[in-house]
Amino acid sequence: MLARNDPENEPMADVDDTDTGINHDASAASDRPSPFYEAVIPYPEGASTAARFALTAREYGYGGVVLRAGPGSSTPTALDLANADAIEAAYGIDVVNAIEIRADSPGSASGAVDNYRSSHTLVCVRGGSPAMNRFAAEQPRVDVLTRPMAGRGDLNHVVARAAARNGVRIEFDLGAVCRTSGGRRVRALSDLRKLRELVQQYDVPYVVSVGAESHLALRAPRELAAVGETVGFSRAAIEQGLREWGSLAARNRDRQDASFIEPGVRKDV
Amino acid sequence: MRALPKHLRPRWRYFGVEIETRPDARIDRRAFQAALWDAARGLLGDPGSADCDLTVVRFRFDRETGGMGTAIVRVRRKEISRGRAALACVRAVDGQPVGLAIRGTSGTIRACADKHCRDHRGRSDTPSGPGAERSVRLPAADGSTTDRPAVGKPGGRVDVRTDEGFVGATILDLGPDSDSKFDLDSESSSDPDSE
Repeated sequence: MLARNDPENEPMADVDDTDTGINHDASAASDRPSPFYEAVIPYPEGASTAARFALTAREYGYGGVVLRAGPGSSTPTALDLANADAIEAAYGIDVVNAIEIRADSPGSASGAVDNYRSSHTLVCVRGGSPAMNRFAAEQPRVDVLTRPMAGRGDLNHVVARAAARNGVRIEFDLGAVCRTSGGRRVRALSDLRKLRELVQQYDVPYVVSVGAESHLALRAPRELAAVGETVGFSRAAIEQGLREWGSLAARNRDRQDASFIEPGVRKDV
Repeated sequence: MRALPKHLRPRWRYFGVEIETRPDARIDRRAFQAALWDAARGLLGDPGSADCDLTVVRFRFDRETGGMGTAIVRVRRKEISRGRAALACVRAVDGQPVGLAIRGTSGTIRACADKHCRDHRGRSDTPSGPGAERSVRLPAADGSTTDRPAVGKPGGRVDVRTDEGFVGATILDLGPDSDSKFDLDSESSSDPDSE
């Protein structure tokens, strides 16, 4: 079983447990399990707007969507007028403002992480090359290393240990399992297996997503759990990975809150 | 051949599946069944696919809803999880991307149809006429506006035709005066059956 054990965050453990994902959902009872989140790529990079993703995800049983847009896409475009608050109000789903940094070299990514850290709830770095994977894993300011095995990406025990030490979540991308077939899927599956074994060995925190670029590519949490079970994950591991986005967002919102000083220390407001 | 005695017959479960496509897609039952078998073979292999025995028993897809449909898919009772996984791996039917969601499982076809299959044709917010296409006025970054053809779907969904193909949007994206343009009941979107 893949279990999360994150020594860096232990002082925050009680904050995490009580606050997870229910900040923005007043109707959720505190004894309910924290909701599932899915990380999506919205328009203009993807083929669906944030609002459409939110509407579809809500119907599929998610409690939140993480909008991981690329850095270039923050310019206003004709088709995404709705902002996160309007979407939350209309569809009753938590919308997490995230950024996915896609850089070729650690040098340019490092500047981008600094730039976006304060303005975005989640900062993800897209892996895909050994250098970028290693860079992301060694940065405590990075929340998630996405698609570490895409392209020529690879991970070894050094990077996995670094990620565990720095609390960087590693993403299991089920998109290739759901949307490709034949040789490409075989390679994706063997990559997933390698990643899973490393994550298991070093207790690396992780997230799960299906990497949807269109609302048609979204799949419900139960479906993803079933797919995960078929390819060697445990059902609980997939569910935990989907929930992890939410607890990560809750932790970061708490940290960005004005009354937060350091883990365990708050200013009275 | 004589029917098997009841205790020897296979036990089935039925998935109520909701299907969504782009507004210009045409899919039929045969194509959906073929895609389903393909996905099952790809993910589970021949033995796993035979065990699941995924069969489309009902299929309804109308263009007049702008590309929404429902299907009932039969699966062997012991193989629900693997059947669900295979269904999740159906990416496209006849090369046209589809979104699939299993709304629920039932023990009989009738219960499945009653409980898990929404009839989009009957909904008051369904756009009238096959693939009803209207023009929406979208503000551009420089303050000007452009007209783009768009197809309304149930629940406040709108698919906008752009140069790069359809973009999924909702009436929230189209600005404050779009409600009247589509005659869509935006409230109905916030009462999903998944509760």
